[in-house]
Amino acid sequence: MNSPTDDIDTSDRSPPGDDLLAAELMLGLLEPDERRRAAARAETDPAFARLVDGWDQRFAPWLVRVEPVAPSAALWPRIRRDLGWEAPPQRARAPLWGSLLLWRCATAVAAGVALAVVLLRPAVVPPTETAAARPVTTLAHDDGRAAWLVTVDATQGKVFVVPVPGTVSPGERICELWIIPSGGAPISLGAVSDRKAHTVDIAEALRARLAAGAVLAVTLEDRQGVPHAAPAGPIVAKGEILDI
Amino acid sequence: MTQTNAPQPVVDARGPELLLSRVAAGDRDAFQALYRETSALLFGICLSVLRDRAEAEDALQEAYVAIWHKAAQFDRSRATAITWLGSIARHRAIDRRRGAGSSATWVALDVIEQHAADEGRAAPSPDDAQSAARLDGCMSQLEPQRQRLIRAAFVEGATYSELAARCGSPLGTVKSWIRRSLLQLRACLEQ
Repeated sequence: MNSPTDDIDTSDRSPPGDDLLAAELMLGLLEPDERRRAAARAETDPAFARLVDGWDQRFAPWLVRVEPVAPSAALWPRIRRDLGWEAPPQRARAPLWGSLLLWRCATAVAAGVALAVVLLRPAVVPPTETAAARPVTTLAHDDGRAAWLVTVDATQGKVFVVPVPGTVSPGERICELWIIPSGGAPISLGAVSDRKAHTVDIAEALRARLAAGAVLAVTLEDRQGVPHAAPAGPIVAKGEILDI
Repeated sequence: MTQTNAPQPVVDARGPELLLSRVAAGDRDAFQALYRETSALLFGICLSVLRDRAEAEDALQEAYVAIWHKAAQFDRSRATAITWLGSIARHRAIDRRRGAGSSATWVALDVIEQHAADEGRAAPSPDDAQSAARLDGCMSQLEPQRQRLIRAAFVEGATYSELAARCGSPLGTVKSWIRRSLLQLRACLEQ
């Protein structure tokens, strides 16, 4: 049995007062209908909104005590889409990777980055806020010359690579692409061409590694045994995956 | 599936405030930077309420859309940026939890102990550490059962009726306990 005061319950019938209602709204104690009413009031009644703020502040120390967890990389594009910053994705159409737009993007960026290296006809730069717009990672030689342009789609598990012709001489060896997670060891993503643009499919288990801050690198390796467990040859080009 | 979502360090309180003021002016880059800095914390908040990644991501998505639209309403004299952002995320998550067909499951009250056990976690600034110590101090003056109820309400956004069902006490009694505890807490914090 509880103390006598605990069993006298009038609070269920008499209105609890604005400040308690504000606390109940803030904590999430209210049933859906009550919650909607209280939330609507907080939108229109500044005095009540201040009471809710007061409870927010009282419990603020607990808010930041939650364990941070990174959301998936796909969320940011969804938010941009909701805000109307880019067109909705065009599903069930030609694959993104073959789209003309992406090609133009890649070409335009190549023209900017590698102007001194190769002569590319500058294409018309498309609007930046488009469905196909993804950051382009430049895999560069030590001297800064671009060797590959790469776009990463972590959710689809695709890495699209466009070599800048004539910048790499693999000879008898093969160009192997690696992902190097921040602070981690290189993981092979397979072979890439030094002459043709193509898509590298990324195994599901590795997709989470394709995060901003990780480094993509190309080494020259033996043709046998790709993907290798670890790189043995020299790094010919590398670049950091750009921001989401 | 490889899990590489390492927890991010606790957010610096000043960064988000500067970013928010730029976001209020329509600066998209600032919004992206704000997302980068705060999304892990806000996602943690959504997850604690919803316990389901997909649901929590939906809530987080709604939260950031709301943050973009409401950034101009942020008033630093009323709340810190993190509190403001966090409470938007929390409210979105709670709304989603209340939504029809929500699959959010109840967590045993014991799990809430974990939250209590995290009390020692470093706060972002000395000011925050001080207010955290005050809140924890005032909480500790409540009976253990009531502490658990308040924590469950805050961490998960549980309703009175959920809490009553979980602790097997009548709804009216649970309401009365919690309301009394809240008043006690308020009085203690105002000392």
